Amino acid sequence: MAPRWIEKVTGSLEGKKRYRQYKARRDELPGSYRTGIEAVERYLMYAGAITTGEVLVQMLEDLVDLFEQSAADGTPLNAVVGQDPVEFAETFLANYSDGRWVNKERARLVAAIETAETEPAAEAPQEGRANKS
Amino acid sequence: MGKQATEMLKGTLEGIVLALLADRSAYGYEITGWLREQGFTDIAEGTVYALLVRIEQRRLVDVEKVPSAKGPPRKVYSINAEGREYLDEFWRTWSFLAERLDQLRKGEK
Repeated sequence: MAPRWIEKVTGSLEGKKRYRQYKARRDELPGSYRTGIEAVERYLMYAGAITTGEVLVQMLEDLVDLFEQSAADGTPLNAVVGQDPVEFAETFLANYSDGRWVNKERARLVAAIETAETEPAAEAPQEGRANKS
Repeated sequence: MGKQATEMLKGTLEGIVLALLADRSAYGYEITGWLREQGFTDIAEGTVYALLVRIEQRRLVDVEKVPSAKGPPRKVYSINAEGREYLDEFWRTWSFLAERLDQLRKGEK
């Protein structure tokens, strides 16, 4: 169910091994827990856009830890992900923001604003545009 | 819990969990259990788990893996020196906020 590109992203041999181990653990989960983790995984893949293999694998390992634990304790799926599964997925995802593609854009926005702040504020907009020095 | 309570809880949950851990070390599910007893009944196990992952990443807690009779090894969370510092700061911020809001409410009357 994971998109093909994930294999590319998980990169290193060690990463691939850990990813395979994750899949094996996921596939052994009973009934609703397995369906549940697959749904959460899908959301994390698409909404997360995590491009760092190590961060991605760490995230999946943390996720399967939670589901295995919950299955062992018999915590019902709706108590695991709560009334709003999107809320849960976003809270969970926030821990792995280091590896997200969007981070590059965030850094770019911060840098662009910093640069913009060093530019003189145009007192007279028309003139300011004319001599930009 | 209404939407408003959920939103407010989100900002304070970290402090609440650290305050619980300041008394004694605990497993994740114990922490969720305590929160439920305290009236935070809607809180999802997964949300507490995500928070524990976060405070572990930020090294506010020490974690020990303990083998379990059923399921994977369980993590026991203990507050460390950095966590206590963070908790002190949390209480200071909380006092400041509570005081200001109280004044605001008195001003309304």
